[in-house]
Amino acid sequence: MVFNSLTFLVFFAVVLVLHRLPFPWTAKKFNLLVASYVFYAAWNPPFILLLWGSTIVDWYIARGIYASRDKCRAVRRSWLVISVAVNLGFIGFFKYGEFLLQNWQALMASFGITWVPPAWDIVLPVGISFYTFVTMSYTLDVYLGRSKPIPKFLDYALFVTYFPHLVAGPIVRPTQLVPQFQVPRQATRDQMLWGLGLLILGLFQKVVIADGGLASAADAVFGASGPVGFADAWLGTLAFSGQIFCDFAGYSTAAVGASLCLGFALPDNFRMPYAAIGFSDFWRRWHISLSTWLRDYLYVPLGGNRGSEARTYVNLMLTMLLGGLWHGASWTFVVWGGLHGLYLSVERWVRSRTGVAGDPAGAWNRLALALLTYALVNITWVFFRATTFDGAARVLAGMFGFAPDADPVLPTIYMIKVAAITASILVVQWLMRNVTLEEVVSRMPWWLTGAVAAAMLFAVIIAQGAGEAFIYFQF
Amino acid sequence: MKQLHEQDVVTEREIPRARLGAIGWLVLALVVVAVAAWEWKMRDLGLVAGDLGDGKSAWAVERRKIASGDHDGVVIVGGSRILFDTNLDVWAEMTGRRPVQLALPGMSGQQFLRDLAVNSRFDGFVLIDVTPEQFFRVGRGHPAFEGVLDYWEDEGPAKRTGHHIGRFLSRYLAFLDNQYSLTELIDQLEIRNRGKIPGPFLRPWKLSENYEDRQYHLWREIETNESLREHAIRVWLGRGLGPPDEALIARICADVRGSVAMIRARGGDVVFIRPPSSGGYYEREQQNTPRDRTWDRMLREADVLGIHFEDYPDMQGFELPELSHLTREDAVRFTRAYVGVLRERYVGLRPPPVLEPAG
Repeated sequence: MVFNSLTFLVFFAVVLVLHRLPFPWTAKKFNLLVASYVFYAAWNPPFILLLWGSTIVDWYIARGIYASRDKCRAVRRSWLVISVAVNLGFIGFFKYGEFLLQNWQALMASFGITWVPPAWDIVLPVGISFYTFVTMSYTLDVYLGRSKPIPKFLDYALFVTYFPHLVAGPIVRPTQLVPQFQVPRQATRDQMLWGLGLLILGLFQKVVIADGGLASAADAVFGASGPVGFADAWLGTLAFSGQIFCDFAGYSTAAVGASLCLGFALPDNFRMPYAAIGFSDFWRRWHISLSTWLRDYLYVPLGGNRGSEARTYVNLMLTMLLGGLWHGASWTFVVWGGLHGLYLSVERWVRSRTGVAGDPAGAWNRLALALLTYALVNITWVFFRATTFDGAARVLAGMFGFAPDADPVLPTIYMIKVAAITASILVVQWLMRNVTLEEVVSRMPWWLTGAVAAAMLFAVIIAQGAGEAFIYFQF
Repeated sequence: MKQLHEQDVVTEREIPRARLGAIGWLVLALVVVAVAAWEWKMRDLGLVAGDLGDGKSAWAVERRKIASGDHDGVVIVGGSRILFDTNLDVWAEMTGRRPVQLALPGMSGQQFLRDLAVNSRFDGFVLIDVTPEQFFRVGRGHPAFEGVLDYWEDEGPAKRTGHHIGRFLSRYLAFLDNQYSLTELIDQLEIRNRGKIPGPFLRPWKLSENYEDRQYHLWREIETNESLREHAIRVWLGRGLGPPDEALIARICADVRGSVAMIRARGGDVVFIRPPSSGGYYEREQQNTPRDRTWDRMLREADVLGIHFEDYPDMQGFELPELSHLTREDAVRFTRAYVGVLRERYVGLRPPPVLEPAG
């Protein structure tokens, strides 16, 4: 089920009513758990079994790890290995199975061995990368001694399955959410209203901006079969840059809003990433729950920056390469991650050589560096959006002026939309770089906030999106 | 327990210090007024409540009727002409059978005929529309229906439910028309493009009203609004697809022959129909896909009955507002004419005799 659908509106209304009825707290949590399974099964019912499997495996393994805390490390480690193997086994089979077969085929071919893999007709379970990381964070936290096993299965199952974050994050940690399930909670009037406001904002980003304003331009440029000129290549990439931000940040904002309506707080997942100055700043603002997950469960265990300088760079690259692969089973995603790893490494090297920490002095310097960061991030989006390296090369050739005679691709109306929306996104993000939305709304006249929210909701209603799935559902 | 980062503590969310109650009431009032005004404006432009629209979900509902056996043994496949030019009530009245309407705008019926032949046990009667320039080409068809042949089986409960809720709301709200969405209205602005890019302005705009069982009618505004009619004609005439090559025609004929044979082997049959077109559109069809190269050859090779409007006087003389589709009144006349031909040929399409009560 997607947030931008009529089905979700009805579903959410029913869930809200049930949650406000005077049931015992355990019954309310049970309602939420059942609702979350309905939310997931509404996409493709059989895949609920996979979710149950992942939930149950980590429930028992975490208890096993905790029960063996006084035994030798090898026992605890074996429990962890089972958990990681099962979770990565699920995701490996469903998400990377075809990719692995294709690469094996290519490897065999390089030795002159012809082997044709069987047809791979497996549907990718929606959100598998997200809930796998959620269950793994639970087991890893217990293993690392950051938290104890959750005493009640209901709280644990609801933590894994809670529908606002289930299919596209934020990737929550047990410490963030489980304590909220342990005591009765109900949204106050202001939490409910603010939650609805965030839901409207998220839907506006998704339906009006990402789908209605930018998707067609990105599709036209990245779907072009021939060379793409300079203006088209840049506008198509800027369109995708805005689309993926509004799509994913829109989902996260809607998820936070929906959860707040129920009285539960989810963490921010985006903080004005296109106003970032540098790449470490970018990753503190973009998909925060993934970048912190990778930091805590991959980069730090690899050694982080505690070893030699060379080892730190290797850890950084490995983390970003795997982060790229997490997004999709394709080498283009690996290159995307690799480019970010390279950017982060170069930035780290420059900072260590110049001794500059934090933002540079001077507003114009900060603005120039932010625009440079944004431009370089756009280069990486080419690999993220293109489905092949040929396609990426076509767009990059255009962006660097190597296709001056290419036929135009984008109709003027698309160019106008992309330019206007991109400029708006950049201005808004720059102005809100160091403030939260809540602070801005606190300062605005109430009638202006109301007028803006009404305009957004009205735009969502008349845009009548076709219920397009969020881009991150496929990851 | 170790606490290292903000990810290790319970999340709390700040709530703005603002008059959220007043803001909520203001939003509600403004949105109600704005939506009411928008609804009034859309009705003024000719949209009507009860126009259910069409899409992959609506098509999937019909296709699932074939899979479940919930049908009267008649299926229509093809492009938009047979959608607009067929009146399902007239069909039911004349034959006692209501066809399952599986035709799709911009599509060739060939792949749908193959779908029925290969992926179903359908053993009834198939009427397949031939719009020559669509039938004898390889194309993806209308983007709104891309992947529809897989979609009907894969459609999950959320999409199915959403479809029914959408139809319910469409019965009361005229503005719920995806061809008059905000995005479409912006994209339909006429702005000069670079080079030869057609742009969204030259995509087909709203042409139809859609009702139960995917009954299409030509939108009244196309009959009465000259600028909309001229836009549609400009779109049709601007699409120079060129003549298909011999190899493609041969491949399509062979594919049709195979599909027909499979359906006949199960006891069913297939009839082809060529609905009328006019003006510059008809002339281009004559030039690019002349009857002897395409229509006659396919009927001969597949050994099937074909109903070509040029062969029947009562299927001629229509005035097609935008050169390609009949008005809803003319669709009744055309349906009566071609179903009459079918009834003569197929005993099974004659309605069962009404028995007078004894005494």
